[in-house]
Amino acid sequence: MAPTVSPGQSVALRLPAGDAERSLVLAARRGDEEAFRDLYRAYREPVWNLVNSLVGDPVQAQDVLQDVFFKAFRGLSGFRFRSCLFTWIYRIARNECRNHIRRRGAPLLPLGAIQGSRAEIDGRLVPEDERARRDALRGAVMQLPFKMREVIILKYMEELSYKEMSRILRCPPGTVASRLARALAELGARLGPTGAA
Amino acid sequence: MTGLCFFLRRRFVPYLERKLSPGERGYLETHIARCRRCRELMSQVRAGHEAGRQFGRLGPEDRKRPPEFDELWAGTRAETILRPMSWSRAVPALVVLVIALGAALVMSRRAAPWRSGGQAVLSAAAGRSRGFVPLRIGEFPSKSAAPVVTEGFVRGVYFDSEEKTLHIKLVEEEQKGEPFVICEVRSPGGMAIPQEGSRVRVYGTPRFDPQPGRGWSEVNPVTNIDILKR
Repeated sequence: MAPTVSPGQSVALRLPAGDAERSLVLAARRGDEEAFRDLYRAYREPVWNLVNSLVGDPVQAQDVLQDVFFKAFRGLSGFRFRSCLFTWIYRIARNECRNHIRRRGAPLLPLGAIQGSRAEIDGRLVPEDERARRDALRGAVMQLPFKMREVIILKYMEELSYKEMSRILRCPPGTVASRLARALAELGARLGPTGAA
Repeated sequence: MTGLCFFLRRRFVPYLERKLSPGERGYLETHIARCRRCRELMSQVRAGHEAGRQFGRLGPEDRKRPPEFDELWAGTRAETILRPMSWSRAVPALVVLVIALGAALVMSRRAAPWRSGGQAVLSAAAGRSRGFVPLRIGEFPSKSAAPVVTEGFVRGVYFDSEEKTLHIKLVEEEQKGEPFVICEVRSPGGMAIPQEGSRVRVYGTPRFDPQPGRGWSEVNPVTNIDILKR
């Protein structure tokens, strides 16, 4: 029962839910490899987007992604259906990214974000072309503390609601809103008044 | 910041997204008109919100794709997922983990900072004893010279996944962006990457990159990095 996806359609819209999700999880618990395959296909893209954005390097993100799904599959026997599987896997992904970043040390920045000293004006980067602009924006996000970075990624990249974010981050929606406001203020201060990189 | 400010700031993003009711919107606008701090913060949040929207449209860098299921499932991992770990394997693994954690704790306590302050100061004795000439970041030559040792604060780290090189931007003074030097580490596998803000001592060959758009001093290649203060 692999989800079908039309060209251009987000995989996230086709995540199994309700009974379909329950059936997949129960089948996976019985050791059904096809069920594992379906679960991986369903969640691979959204989790990859999150991991790749938080970790900042696609090569390392691949390793983290494998760890995420290894832990998720391994822990399926303990999944109690108290939340949806999407929230549960996202939580694992977030924790794995945080642990990986702690082990790694400094956040990884695109070269355009750190070579801009020659073009700095008032401490902000002035990129010279589109690629440098993108790098500067990614760099600014990657330089944020992890908690600020993750809430920006969940909000603007994953387009989650406050309620969904609060479930993943395990804090009230009001706290999520405060954290997002602080993160955006910090990002805005780093990039300048227009917010453009 | 008053309690009201703290509460209202949670509404900044919904306000920018036009998700507040007319009454809530009017109340917030009235407060912002009176509160200078909230007005300044709203300006920053507005800029950050615009940047966030642009960031969301960028998407993650997709030079690499997530692995296929068969790659994930291959080998012994499948057996480990399907069969719970037995106690005969878990206990030795636990012992090894405890020993590794203990060793990591001892090693981290040994790396104590031996100098504080905003400006890095080189220890000539430390450098010369290893055959490296101590050099301040601001004194880097315009051409290649003898191996040097320099100290500074990490301002940024970049890993080039295509060339498998690590680039570290090092500044002489913590609060200033210049002078700086770019330290290039080739094949950094297994190396502990210093965190931004750490004080480090870098050993390597000084160079100057004259390429257009660059024009900066380098330590390339880096032969060793000592983390002095995290």
